Amino acid sequence: MIDVSFDHVSKRYRIRQPLEAGRTKGDVVAPGEPAAGGGDTRDFWAIRDVSFEVGRGETLGLIGHNGAGKSTILKLLSQITTPTEGEIRLGGRVAALIEVGSGFHPELTGRENVYLSGSILGMRRREIQAKFNRIVEFSGVGDFIDTPVKWYSSGMYVRLGFAVAAHLEPDILLVDEVLAVGDLAFQGQCIERLNELRRGGTTMLFISHDLLSIEKLCDRVALIERGRLVANGTPHDIVTAYQHMTATSHMAAMADAQIRAAFAAARVEAVTFHDGTGAEVLNASTGEPLAARVHYTVDATVRDAVVELFYYSRDGRILHCQQSTAVAGGELTLLPGRGAIEFSMPGLGLQPGVYAIGATIRERSGSETIDWSYGRTVLCVEPGRAMRGYFYTPHDWRLVAEHGQGGDHGPHS
Amino acid sequence: MAARAQAIVIRPADSAWSNAAGHLRRLFDYGDLLRTLSVHRINVRYRQTVLGVAWAVLQPLLMMTIFAVVFSRLARIPSEGAPYALFAYVALLPWTFFSTALTNATSSLVNHSQLITKVYFPREILPLTYVIAALFDLALGLVALAALMIWFQAPVTLAIVYLVPVVALLAAWALAGALLLSATQVRWRDVGVAMPVLVQVLMFVSPVIYPLGVVPDAWRPLYLLNPLAGIINAFRDVLLRGQAPDAGPLLYAFVVTACALPLAYLVFKRAEATMADVI
Repeated sequence: MIDVSFDHVSKRYRIRQPLEAGRTKGDVVAPGEPAAGGGDTRDFWAIRDVSFEVGRGETLGLIGHNGAGKSTILKLLSQITTPTEGEIRLGGRVAALIEVGSGFHPELTGRENVYLSGSILGMRRREIQAKFNRIVEFSGVGDFIDTPVKWYSSGMYVRLGFAVAAHLEPDILLVDEVLAVGDLAFQGQCIERLNELRRGGTTMLFISHDLLSIEKLCDRVALIERGRLVANGTPHDIVTAYQHMTATSHMAAMADAQIRAAFAAARVEAVTFHDGTGAEVLNASTGEPLAARVHYTVDATVRDAVVELFYYSRDGRILHCQQSTAVAGGELTLLPGRGAIEFSMPGLGLQPGVYAIGATIRERSGSETIDWSYGRTVLCVEPGRAMRGYFYTPHDWRLVAEHGQGGDHGPHS
Repeated sequence: MAARAQAIVIRPADSAWSNAAGHLRRLFDYGDLLRTLSVHRINVRYRQTVLGVAWAVLQPLLMMTIFAVVFSRLARIPSEGAPYALFAYVALLPWTFFSTALTNATSSLVNHSQLITKVYFPREILPLTYVIAALFDLALGLVALAALMIWFQAPVTLAIVYLVPVVALLAAWALAGALLLSATQVRWRDVGVAMPVLVQVLMFVSPVIYPLGVVPDAWRPLYLLNPLAGIINAFRDVLLRGQAPDAGPLLYAFVVTACALPLAYLVFKRAEATMADVI
């Protein structure tokens, strides 16, 4: 039984070219319509000839870079906009699990807003009445339900909006970046609710940049790239393919962004990663042994050098982890020639994802960095032994007997 | 799980013209949303105002006072025997309704772009709720009119029942204008900018300040193409003269509205298909 079918669907937008400087940039004009105010238009195919099917009760994940066309697919499915070509068939009622605080009116109380946004999302009044208590409990706003939402904290506002959407019971549910909402506890609640709906037989389409939850939640994953569906298969295969793709394109883009001292005494040439056997790898797994090598070329001896390695989020905004030769060991002197520093990790602590790697060479005493390299290398981390939480920490376990009951290592034994 | 809705097929926008019956069924399905949103409009309109819902009555009353001073005392515009204040108020009621409904409903889509790009529902619900909210104000204005008529000792006759179809016609005409203009404004924001001027012009080409009788016969056929002319005249016939509305002008209004409303709805639904892309 097929619940969702995309049959050679394309969606074209017309982008108006700016006529002169200072004019609005890239106004979108509907297909088949003349551009308002004249000017040249350029066609932009948000998705092109996309075909796929989702079976009843199945969860399909959609992954791809920003602007690849994932959200356009959801917009077409929820009938917010219509396709330019092709046909979409839906086997039941569709609803989108999105943050709908925008449907809230600030002057109205939480209670009034639940009814308002519930009916905007397509619930009947009776249905909202029946679910009202559960919605309030889910949102955690408690006694504030009869306070105008303009006095709410932004967290409460979002949680209440989301709680309403989470209690929709459609045949087909569209989920766009659910994990971007609320704090960790609330996100856990949302995942729990999604699982509940899944068990109840709801067909789902799931968009997320969080590859770990895509792997956990989806039965199948489709990879969208520049408006086309390029791969469709098991979550692990597609996520891995996507990470490889990201790594290669990212490296090419970042190579241009190098800032390098032209006559530096030492240069970072490359950063490579190696598995337990010493073989070079592009992908690593959480919890598995990994070694990182910073390859350098030295022209003039650098005394008391420090080599450091940085693991950034893909967009470079968050520094997840740093490794440094300054932490332990003796003094490091870099002699002219080529060489490499290896940092070894018995168990990689990074969670699954894509990391941009930076490396620096500097003198411990000097304030200036001799050379640094950022983003030429990307590390893709696969789940491996990944646990929940922000990071993985290598650990062992053993049974500890209390009060000398025959363990190997009781206290004060 | 409840029985599944019929399978839905989504096709390119070009096929959106043909399915008028389907559009209306969809709208009917969303009856709950229409009701909730309409009540919401009324609820929210006067929140955090000191005078609250009294504004619905004060607006035409204040206009009436100004009109009475300027147009009766200073400009000496005839009022066909009735006190000018009452003469003006009776026309200001449908006029205030029309201008409020048209202005608010026209900007309704653009003002709710956040919703339109996130959730599907029949978009005509947005302009419709503003028309309904304006009807509520009109009803309050009629209550105030009753008080005024007692004050001026004006007779009330059974002809007042004619108000029901006349108000329905007025609402239909306002809706036709709102559907057309709101859909147009999504693409061309010029509509919103031109709105205040348009409303001013409409007032001067409608018999609000002056009686329909002063319009020269030669201009009548053209003048009456504006349905507000026949409708406002009918308000005066029924409320001031205590007689059935003059059928001629009202027929004009009916024919124009009967042509305009279905056309406006189709144009609106055609625009709806790509509304989220251009808003």
